[in-house]
Amino acid sequence: MKNLIYKEFKLCMQPLVWIFFAFVLMLLIPNYIYLVPCFFVGNAIFQTMQVGAVNNDVLFSNLLPVSKRDTVKAKYLFVICVELIMTALYVGMIFVNHKLIGSPNMAGIDACPALIGGCFLIHAVFNAIFLPVFYKSGFKAGRAFVFSAIAVFAVMFVFEGIFIAAGAAADKSALFAAIESTIDCWPKTGRALSAQLIFTGAFAVLYAVVTWLSYLRSASIFEKSDI
Amino acid sequence: MELLEVKGLRKQYPGFLLKDVSFSLEPGYIMGFIGRNGAGKTTTMKSMLGLIAADAGSVKIGGMDFFANQRECKQNIGFVMGEFNCYLGYKLKTITKVTKRFYDDWNEEAYRGCLSRFKLDENKRVKELSAGMRVKYALALALSHNAQLLILDEPTSGLDPISRDDLLDVFRGIVEDGTRSILFSTHIISDLEKCADLITYIKNGELYASEELETFRSKYLLVSGGEAQLEALRGSLLGVKNNAFGFTGLIETAKAAELPSDIRTAPADLESIMIYIEQEEKAV
Repeated sequence: MKNLIYKEFKLCMQPLVWIFFAFVLMLLIPNYIYLVPCFFVGNAIFQTMQVGAVNNDVLFSNLLPVSKRDTVKAKYLFVICVELIMTALYVGMIFVNHKLIGSPNMAGIDACPALIGGCFLIHAVFNAIFLPVFYKSGFKAGRAFVFSAIAVFAVMFVFEGIFIAAGAAADKSALFAAIESTIDCWPKTGRALSAQLIFTGAFAVLYAVVTWLSYLRSASIFEKSDI
Repeated sequence: MELLEVKGLRKQYPGFLLKDVSFSLEPGYIMGFIGRNGAGKTTTMKSMLGLIAADAGSVKIGGMDFFANQRECKQNIGFVMGEFNCYLGYKLKTITKVTKRFYDDWNEEAYRGCLSRFKLDENKRVKELSAGMRVKYALALALSHNAQLLILDEPTSGLDPISRDDLLDVFRGIVEDGTRSILFSTHIISDLEKCADLITYIKNGELYASEELETFRSKYLLVSGGEAQLEALRGSLLGVKNNAFGFTGLIETAKAAELPSDIRTAPADLESIMIYIEQEEKAV
């Protein structure tokens, strides 16, 4: 497996991926939708798969002494690596945002530990759709990206919408008040930090489960498909 | 023990059926794999390698079930699927550096020998190579990990006659020690005449023949005669072409005794056999 991962980084990964990582700097824009850079990671993965399709990566990989399922697993591990690198960059940028901006975000969730939960959610939605459609459609990365982008933006709209609504509501319900005081803020108390870590942990688990199920589906599709 | 054993390979597409193809190859032989465009050669080869999901059938490499042991079996196989068309913007040395990590028995000396023999510059990118040089690079990779079985789809297409001849020498050298074998498909039948020991012929998705080349050739004769003699032979001919002097056709050697004495006969070459057999319907 490590050789396939090496191949993914050496022959498949596009330099564009590094550029898209830099989009994490958007977390320094005051009052911005901070989940948008996560979408750009999906775009970087799409570009990599698109160029891979042109380069006959699927055929090359499957002529190597590996099984079809191995090649799918390697592709998922590559995607997970890219997403986790972006998530790690988010962690760093959240602290930078807090130091440099430090004011509440009016355009969605604040740059706080709970934002990492949002990142996991966006990556989970992307993973649920992009690779299974890619393998099912006969390696059409464009189609897979359109479907996954629509789903990602829909989920992002709902997720960020909840935090915008919680912040903007004049007469806050108990739920909105709890969201604002524990999730959508820089955690100043142990209780708020715990709540945000649980929130993020739950989405991390969701990410792991969805990505695993997506892998099983893609591997099953690919084993029955023709190259 | 057979190095390659294909049994009942079947694949259904809309409008095409690869019908229960079976053949085997022992160590030490070169097998030519022939048939028209669309007859099912590439489908057979890709199905054998799991690139196409076969509906039925089994493939054994050195007695080992290929589909259950792909990793182990592929260590022992060298593939060429036409010219090398992967990672066009990358240098050959980068692709090789990645590829060789996968093979337990990578032979750097053999690889360097291929680069030198094929005059390949490792610092060139794939897109800078001609079609022929891309085939040679694919062959260099296939020949450099001590594979016992080489499966080559159109390995000589795009090569100049000198390179083809050189490559056929390489093929003969590979099987010389009796431990390795080559299965290769080609439309350049003269290449097979020069180096193949066995022939597997596929027609409309069905196996037409799989046997020694000499045995296969000896089963057919070319016959020629005048227009007047054609009518009497029409039922026996496998294929026929009319020309200014009468006709030329193909007949099974077993029926040669029934031929009128004034019919001229000649040994059939592989290309003629294929051409006339594919014309079968016209002759009837």
